[in-house]
Amino acid sequence: MVESTQSEFVTIVSNDGFEFIIPRSAACVSGALRRSLDPSSKFPEGISGRCELGEFSGVVVEKICEYFCYNEKHKDQVNVPDMDIPPELCLELLMAADFLDT
Amino acid sequence: MKTDFEPQLYESPNMTGRRQTRQSRQPTQPQGIRGPRSALTDYLASNNISAQQIRDDWDRRQAEAQRQSDQAEQESSNAAEESRSPSVLESPEDPVQKRKRQQAIVRIKNSKEFAKRKARFSGDYDDEDDDDLLALQIHEEKNRPKPGQLANCEICDKRFTVTPYSKAGPNGGLLCVDCSKKQKADEKKPPAKKRAPGIGRRQNQANLLDGLTPHGTQSLLETCIKKVADYIHDIEDFGDLPPSLLLRLGQILSRRRAVTSRTLDLFLRPQYTSIDLFDCAKLGTDDYHKIMASMPRLTRVNLRFTTPMKDQIFHYMMERDMEIKDLHLDGPNLVTDACWRQLFMKLGHRFLSLKLWNLDSAFDNETARLMCLHCSNLQRLKLKFLHKIDNEMLEEISTLKSLHHLSLRFLNETEIKTEPLLEIMSSVGAQLETLSLEEFEFADDRLLQHIHEHCRHLTKLRLTLNSTFTDKGLTALFTGWSNPALTYVDLNSLRDVDMTNPAGPEESIGLASDSFVALMAHSGSKIQHLNIASCRHVSYKAFEQVFAEGKMYPNLKYLDISFSTVVDDYLAQCIFRCCPALQRLVVFACFKIRDVYIPRGLALIGTVGATIKIDGITQTETI
Repeated sequence: MVESTQSEFVTIVSNDGFEFIIPRSAACVSGALRRSLDPSSKFPEGISGRCELGEFSGVVVEKICEYFCYNEKHKDQVNVPDMDIPPELCLELLMAADFLDT
Repeated sequence: MKTDFEPQLYESPNMTGRRQTRQSRQPTQPQGIRGPRSALTDYLASNNISAQQIRDDWDRRQAEAQRQSDQAEQESSNAAEESRSPSVLESPEDPVQKRKRQQAIVRIKNSKEFAKRKARFSGDYDDEDDDDLLALQIHEEKNRPKPGQLANCEICDKRFTVTPYSKAGPNGGLLCVDCSKKQKADEKKPPAKKRAPGIGRRQNQANLLDGLTPHGTQSLLETCIKKVADYIHDIEDFGDLPPSLLLRLGQILSRRRAVTSRTLDLFLRPQYTSIDLFDCAKLGTDDYHKIMASMPRLTRVNLRFTTPMKDQIFHYMMERDMEIKDLHLDGPNLVTDACWRQLFMKLGHRFLSLKLWNLDSAFDNETARLMCLHCSNLQRLKLKFLHKIDNEMLEEISTLKSLHHLSLRFLNETEIKTEPLLEIMSSVGAQLETLSLEEFEFADDRLLQHIHEHCRHLTKLRLTLNSTFTDKGLTALFTGWSNPALTYVDLNSLRDVDMTNPAGPEESIGLASDSFVALMAHSGSKIQHLNIASCRHVSYKAFEQVFAEGKMYPNLKYLDISFSTVVDDYLAQCIFRCCPALQRLVVFACFKIRDVYIPRGLALIGTVGATIKIDGITQTETI
């Protein structure tokens, strides 16, 4: 676990215990996660590479992780279509996006 | 082709042939004695038509056709051995028919339908041969049996009735129902028309104007807000969205003109102190009451397109003695002068900022005078397109001693003198932080002098649409000015307007070369937003000097140089080099920008048909 400061992947945990392991570079799209996962920040997240999003459920966190990867995949492309978001999730996701600064 | 009219030929000679036996005997028979003759034979004879001749003609044609087909077969086998003939017309036929068909094909090639089809398939068919093929297809389609007629199926030879839905077979003939079904299953959809590698200009420019750079994904936040706006009618309650998101949603919904009585409810939060709605055109008078009643703690009211707002709303505000500090209203034209005056008298002392747009039936000089009298704490004043005020009210503005932000624009038919503006400058100029004077056409260099003398704290300066300021006057303003560097400068349309002399007079009018250099020398270090659109007299040299190597404008994010027609690819690259933080460059009518390499994250707006390269991605605009 201590080694994971340099690890390529980070773990995002939802409030109902789902864990999502995604590339560090993808997670750093989010301003909030970038700051907390920065090893020099001395936050526990930065040291363990494990980030708990206690306010959001698994469904929302899954969608967020999907966006991180979607963004990573398309960052060098032109005219990228918007990611599809199920309407019933959009308000929660909006709050999450605001919180995570993405 | 032969098959089309052969059946008819078949029948007529046979029939006449039968009769012909009798007719042929005719001449040998002695005159006067005649066997039984039908009325038709008589008729034909009287019209000098001989059945014998018809039969002979037919026999001859048959023989000829036979001979030709033998010949053609030989020829085609020979040709196949040597090389395949380029012609698609391989079937044998007589030269007259062939010529006719060729003519038909030429006609088709010139027709509109051909052009249309060609366009539809363009990309797939582009050489001569394909043109021929397409024309032939159309030709065959035209010669097909009409719906209702009978035809033989091209594949199974079954006889069937042609309908408008009958499908064409692989060789151009029609197919029966069963065969068309099979054919349909086999047939794959033709590949969708490939879009040209360029980008659609309209969509592209629309996105750029929305501030979207063309690469990468949008932020999750923005995507979600859009989605929420899409489904606004299904949403019961926003939950506790922070005010910043509420504002953004309000903007998007206003732009889509989706703010209605129903959606308004989502924005009414009793605990919030501000409301911003940029399109209230669909709200009724009751809705304004609802806003005021359900948000009693309002201190900031920002409503645009407020046509149905009436006196009662203001009366309600006054009765409740609401703590409104910021009142921004666009177009409340049903509010009377008497009501405005009352409002200023009752609540004016609390107002910190007042912004009004587009008032044509009320708000005259007297009301404005009362406003200046009672709203003595006003720090921010913006009045745009108020029809009934003029010079007289300008003089009153100088009595607003705590004014920090002033923004004025009159109707362009209102003639405004320079003197009242000078008075404002000398009385409140020293504390002004922002100054925006649009369309003061006749204000002259004395105003610039006063700004130079009195203003010490300006960060934003907008002087636009004027053809009286001289280059010298503007140079003097920015030279040795004790005001610190400006962050926001809008000097668009400071130029000479004389159709007969497009180059302008010797002594430059408006923002020209010298003043542009002086401006950038004064404010370059801090400047974030610069608009010099339509300042036509800024020379190539001046641009080169301002954006020379080694010059740096580290904070410049927005630059508008539209209608500066001298700017070319080289100058554009110089601009990118000198402005590392640049996010938007607006270049409408800079036609010399043809082929540029733009840094990532920059939106270049207004190019026409230019080739744009971003990090190795090349985009050519389709026009």
